[in-house]
Parts: sequence; C-alpha cells; structure tokens
Amino acid sequence: MFTAFAQSRDERLRAELIEAHLGLAEYLARRFANRGEPLDDLVQVASMGLVKAVDRFEPERGLEFSTYATHTVVGELKRHFRDKGWAVRVPRRMQELHLRLSGLVSGLNQDLGRAPTVAEIAQAAGVSEEEVLEALEAGNAYRFASIDAPSPGSEDGGTLASTLGSEDESMIDVEHRVALSPLIAKLPERQQRILHYRFVEGLTQSEIAERLGISQMHVSRLLARSLAELRRAAEADGG
Amino acid sequence: MSSDEVQLVMPADPEFLRLARVTAMGLASRLSFTIDEIDDLRIAIDELVFGLIGTKGREGSVCMTYRLEPEGLEVRGTGEFLDTGTSPGLSELSELILDAVADEHELAVDDGGPRFRMLKRRAG
Repeated sequence: MFTAFAQSRDERLRAELIEAHLGLAEYLARRFANRGEPLDDLVQVASMGLVKAVDRFEPERGLEFSTYATHTVVGELKRHFRDKGWAVRVPRRMQELHLRLSGLVSGLNQDLGRAPTVAEIAQAAGVSEEEVLEALEAGNAYRFASIDAPSPGSEDGGTLASTLGSEDESMIDVEHRVALSPLIAKLPERQQRILHYRFVEGLTQSEIAERLGISQMHVSRLLARSLAELRRAAEADGG
Repeated sequence: MSSDEVQLVMPADPEFLRLARVTAMGLASRLSFTIDEIDDLRIAIDELVFGLIGTKGREGSVCMTYRLEPEGLEVRGTGEFLDTGTSPGLSELSELILDAVADEHELAVDDGGPRFRMLKRRAG
C-alpha cells in the first residue's frame, strides 16, 4: 500500500494509511504519559509525527514502516518535551543562548580553574554581558525535563538517566536529609544530593557540577527548581 | 541616594522577583562576581523577598536598594504592604540556605516594618 501511495500520493490512500497506524501513535504517546504533559497533547504530537512519517516513508529502502514511524513519532514527542521544558515567556533566542553558554561555561571553568565571570563568558560567547545575564536568568524559567527526555542540547551529552548513573556513590545518610526538611525527602534523588552538597557540605555549584558530571548551569537550574518546589510544598503543608 | 546605589520599587508579587534578581546580577557582574557567586545572589534574593511577601505575594510594594560597596554588593529590601496579611519570615531551611549563599543577612518583621538586608562579598 505504501508503494502505491509513494507513487500516486493519493489523498485517500494517505488518510487510510494514517488511520491504520493511529493505534501505534497513541501507544507511543502513552509511553510518555505521566511526565507532566496531558495525554491529549501527547497524542496530538504523536499523530502529527505519524503524518510526517507517512509522507516521508520510502518503501524501497526496505525498512518496516512501523520501525520508521516509531522513530519519527518518538523524535517528535521528545522534541515536544524539550520545547515544553521552558516556561512560555522565554524567547527562543534566550533558550538557545542559555544552552550554548552551558558548554562554554564548563570549558571556561576548566581553563580558568575557577568559575568564570559574566565578562569572561560574554567574551567567549561573542555576545554582550546583558545577553549573558538574561540567558543565565532564563534558566530559572526552565521546567524540569522528564527523566528519559534527552538532555537539552548537547551540553551534558546523553540522557538524564545515564547522567544519574554516573554519579559517585557517596551516600547521604537519611538523618542528614531529613534534618534539613522532611519535604526534601520527597524530591528526586539527584536534587536531594545537590541540596546536600550545596547547603550542608558547602560545595560551590561548579564543584557540584564537576562531581556530578553535568554543567554548572544545569546545577543552577536544578537548584533553583528544588528551592521553588520546596517553597511550594512548604506552603501547601501550611508551614 | 549616593551614586553607587540603585533602587527598584516593585509590586510585592512573585512575578516581579525576576527584576530584583536581574538587577542584582547586573550590578554583581560590574563587580566581577563569578557565576557561582551570581547564582548565590539570586538564591539569596529569592529567599529574602519571599520571606517578606510569601509565595502568594502581598498587596503593596517592595523597595529594593542595591549598594555597590568596595567589598561587594549590599542588598536591602523594605516592604510597604497595604493588606492585613503577615510576612512569613525565614524558615530554618531558609536560614541554612542564606548562611551558605550570603556573607551577612538579616530579616525583621517588627515595628520597624518588614525589611531585610544582605551582603555578598567578592572573593579575593
């Protein structure tokens, strides 16, 4: 049927092919559910990915359509999460600059042997200090990506899940965690660690970044996110 | 107001905290603070302003005063509130956080009016 469609580009055939594979799109959408995005939105994104797959599929390449479509649809879903990681108000330009700076900062940290200043970052990036400040602040608007979504840009390499696996095994004893606040125990493991490193052990964000194998700006986002969540939880608790 | 002082009056609403942070960041960069230190400033300002206005904010305004000192940046905040709500003050966790990110800090909610002060020194 795909061969026929590839040749004729018949609209009815196209509709039939899409219809026939909507189940696959929905199945893939469901796999990304429970990550803070409504299922309806995900099904919508997945369906659009499916349409793209139907239009672009080349049967003569010998690939199974379901394989090709899965790849395309999952790509669209992951991109959806990456884009949705930012609060709506942050201009795309700032998102991109924020991600670009992340890698730069890590490099500068290594070269300088310390965290860089805004002026140093601006010079390295070839942008104004104002833009650097805006881009740094933009990190506050970043909503936490889901655990299996690709890490933003190429700043950290690999998925968040693999990053977690590469941490050192220093265990933070339960007593310590709870002493800070019982609410902290409800945060994801990595955020708990970062809070402990920063506020109990007194490491700088750059030192934490090095220890966890992620960028300083990523630590900054995670820290900002953790504190905001703790604040919300404390308010919900009424204390 | 001396020439090394910047003042910002903003609604006592969490939506505007960003302005308070960005102003601090801009001044800190003039003092060649590193990005670790700038992030500390952002965290400190969040904790202190939220200590005054709470997560839902208050009716009224907060006046932020930033002073560029030779040793670093001093930030003061004063609340002028029109409602009958109360300032939450600083939790134990907030105190721990502020101890880590600021060299000096205090927040008071008494007859003198809700206010805070913090100092962040430059390293070296």
